[in-house]
Amino acid sequence: MSTNNAKMRNIGISAHIDSGKTTLTERILFYCKKIHRTHEVKGKDGVGATMDHMELERERGITITSAATYVEWEGCSINIIDTPGHVDFTIEVERSLRVLDGAVLVLCAVGGVQSQTITVDRQLKRYNVPRIAFINKCDRIGANPLKVRDQLEDKLRHNAVLMQIPIGLEDKFRGVVDLVTQKAIYFDGRDGENLRVEEIPAELADEARVRREALLDAASMFSDELTEALLEDRATEALIHAALRKGTIARKLTPVFLGSAYKNKGVQPLLDGVVRYLPSPADVENTALSLETEGAEVKLTADDAAPAVLLAFKLEDGPYGQLSYIRIYQGSLKKGDEITNTRSRQKVKIGRLVRMHADSMEDIAFAGAGDIVALFGIDCASGDTFAAPGLAVAMTSIYVPEPVISLAIRPVDNKALDRMAKALNRFTKEDPTFRTFVDPESHETIIQGMGELHLEVYVERMKREYDAEVETGKPQVAYREAISQAVEFDYTHKKQTGGAGQYGRVIGTIEPLAEGTYEFVNEVKGGRIPREFILACDKGFRAAVRKGDLIGFPITGVRVRLSDGASHDVDSSDHAFQAAAIGAFRQAYRKAKPQILEPIMKVSVEGPSEFAGNIFGTINQRRGIIVSSVEDGSFSRVDAEVPLSEMFGYSMVLRSLTQGKAEFTMEFLKYGRVPAAVAEALIAEHQGRNRDAGAK
Amino acid sequence: MVKAELIKRSPLRVFEKSIHGGLGPGNIGVLASPKGVGKTACLVHIATDKLFQGKPVIHVSYSSRVDYIITWYEDIFKEIAKNRRLRAAVDIHDEIIKNRVIMNFKQEGARTEQVLKSVEAMVTFGKFAAQSVIVDGYDFTQGTCGDLAKFKEFAAKLSLEVWFSASLKEAEAEAGLYDAAGIPVVLTPLCASIDVLITLHATGDHVELKVVKDHGHPAVGLLPLKLDPKTLLII
Repeated sequence: MSTNNAKMRNIGISAHIDSGKTTLTERILFYCKKIHRTHEVKGKDGVGATMDHMELERERGITITSAATYVEWEGCSINIIDTPGHVDFTIEVERSLRVLDGAVLVLCAVGGVQSQTITVDRQLKRYNVPRIAFINKCDRIGANPLKVRDQLEDKLRHNAVLMQIPIGLEDKFRGVVDLVTQKAIYFDGRDGENLRVEEIPAELADEARVRREALLDAASMFSDELTEALLEDRATEALIHAALRKGTIARKLTPVFLGSAYKNKGVQPLLDGVVRYLPSPADVENTALSLETEGAEVKLTADDAAPAVLLAFKLEDGPYGQLSYIRIYQGSLKKGDEITNTRSRQKVKIGRLVRMHADSMEDIAFAGAGDIVALFGIDCASGDTFAAPGLAVAMTSIYVPEPVISLAIRPVDNKALDRMAKALNRFTKEDPTFRTFVDPESHETIIQGMGELHLEVYVERMKREYDAEVETGKPQVAYREAISQAVEFDYTHKKQTGGAGQYGRVIGTIEPLAEGTYEFVNEVKGGRIPREFILACDKGFRAAVRKGDLIGFPITGVRVRLSDGASHDVDSSDHAFQAAAIGAFRQAYRKAKPQILEPIMKVSVEGPSEFAGNIFGTINQRRGIIVSSVEDGSFSRVDAEVPLSEMFGYSMVLRSLTQGKAEFTMEFLKYGRVPAAVAEALIAEHQGRNRDAGAK
Repeated sequence: MVKAELIKRSPLRVFEKSIHGGLGPGNIGVLASPKGVGKTACLVHIATDKLFQGKPVIHVSYSSRVDYIITWYEDIFKEIAKNRRLRAAVDIHDEIIKNRVIMNFKQEGARTEQVLKSVEAMVTFGKFAAQSVIVDGYDFTQGTCGDLAKFKEFAAKLSLEVWFSASLKEAEAEAGLYDAAGIPVVLTPLCASIDVLITLHATGDHVELKVVKDHGHPAVGLLPLKLDPKTLLII
């Protein structure tokens, strides 16, 4: 293995669902001699693609967990993170992106830029990941890679530059013309493993010339040397590659490759492109946060000799214990090295260091700066930073959205109870958007996540991987309560029941807060409330906002201004002021016109135009607002805002209405006010539940 | 200013009065001018005025990207809110968004029948009770007489008023853009289907609006209104 990290690439493969991402990964593994045979994702041979290592994924034909795998291509080592495509699992995508230096954006030559493509591209932008594009499925009916290139420019604002033009399309797709070398490439052999390089077919010569001009124009923007060389007609391939690389790494240019992974065409030139244009770990600047001087940024260098800094970005439960995928940002790792978990301050010794290939692994003794490997038998949570002893830094925290949906689960028997606990412990460590807790009132175990499918997958994994059978309740939306106007309060908590009394009086206002969940402002002057009790007041208000009166959900967006109050020399205490704050809040809350808020999802439905009417109908029936509809020929996209509570079972409805030809994605957008009729129903339901609880 | 007053004092009341009570259901109105004078701004202002009144609007666009159109609405709304010191602007904004749908069609692929079918699907299946349809970016040089007649028939069937923008291309008109009556040459053959026709003229520091066809009535000519090129509002 090479330890020189100029010859190392950490790449992700990102795409819309069903763009052929997993098939592409599979082919890459094959051409890099990592596997001996190729399989289809939904294979007839019942084996399934090698990257989808979970049984469940094989069954559904989707990739859920990112698996890292290592390949070598032309003397360069490439770590590939296979990222999931479904929007419910975007935390997986985001976590993977964090550790990437570059990405291949896979697009379907028929579908082009789709809603999920836009989402993943935005995520790549957020983490400043340079990308190259691969327009897949050029063999499909309706394939139009040139249109897709235009969409990259129009919809995603990429400076997309065609590196190749197709030789034939649809069932006549035979190969590509490389615009840099000006040669035609065909892919022979059973698996397209033999490249045959020939002259450009005469009928494509003109187009190739025009497209090459465009490529050179775009490339010369990044290199004066190339510009000069072009004027003097002595531009070399190396100069062109260098200029394109510069543009790509600066994220100002996106080289576009073409092919059909399924038909074994165009994958090898794409791999060349990965090596040529995507950055090595040394080309990317990474910073960590210092834990000693608050929030100061520490620059990291991808140098083997520097003290080690690494991030655990993914955990997996293997048969031999916890496997932690890590990215080494600085320094290197050897077997037997001691490192510190900078969060828990625990020191750990590296026992086994392994390189991963989907389901199998290879023991290694050393891993250099920039590499992605896995550690065995180390206890940590995903997102933890490890560093060489004495170095107190943390990699910037990964953005984690709040869960929007919850589900009560009940193990079917005692055996399942133990196993369920084990499974939940593992899942919450693996996935920060997946949470679990026991409801103090119903004593039920509640799981929370980013969508219906997200939770469904975990319930199934519990059964399959942990043999923990559970019954599930109805999915519950994470509502919020909020006040809509400012109200003053003046509340005295007084108790005289023998022994020490309790006394505390608080005066102030509660008011709506546009951003944030809770804010406490202390405006008490002249010690009317002694300073030692202010904290108790804050604590009391905090306790009060945890649960609203309307439907028992947390209250969000409140600012409490505490302006005045009174105390008693003997009877005042922390406890008394906490009780006063809770009492004051409850009293004021009812007057502040409280409202119920619900999560509103940004929903994007795509399908043939003939079904546009049906799609409009489904959105309308779900209290949704149609923001826009875009018709491009026979293809339609409808963007809408729909309450999450109305989206349960939508995939089934959509499938049956459109003969399975439409698909949708959704992600959390904002919290919005619940209409009066719905709010009344929710309140009545809540009161009914309270009565039942009281009757028991 | 509260919303009711804002509607009452809108310059569009003057506009409506000048064309005998507005466009009205079943009718076709056209705003015509060369590129870049302010047709889209006018259309969005007309639509926003409807939205303030709680009347749903479908905005059909042939050219722009959806996010550009949304930006147009946001800008016009912001200018009105600022200009008139609108109270409870955030709530009103949320309210009017519910009444607006943008439908985007790519011109090459979009035949008028298909466009009308989709708009109708939005009204019937989407239960979107639109009263006005704004059509921006429709290419009158490509369309046939039959096309506009289809729109008119459609407007009558669904009781909609339909506002078009027509881009006039100076290069293509050798004898000038307008005929003797002030009607854009390119629209002359379509005049039978057009109920209200207004042309926009850039003069000095503002844009003038001129009524050249007003239902069956004699056209009043220059309106006592103009378009402010800075805020792109009708004032």
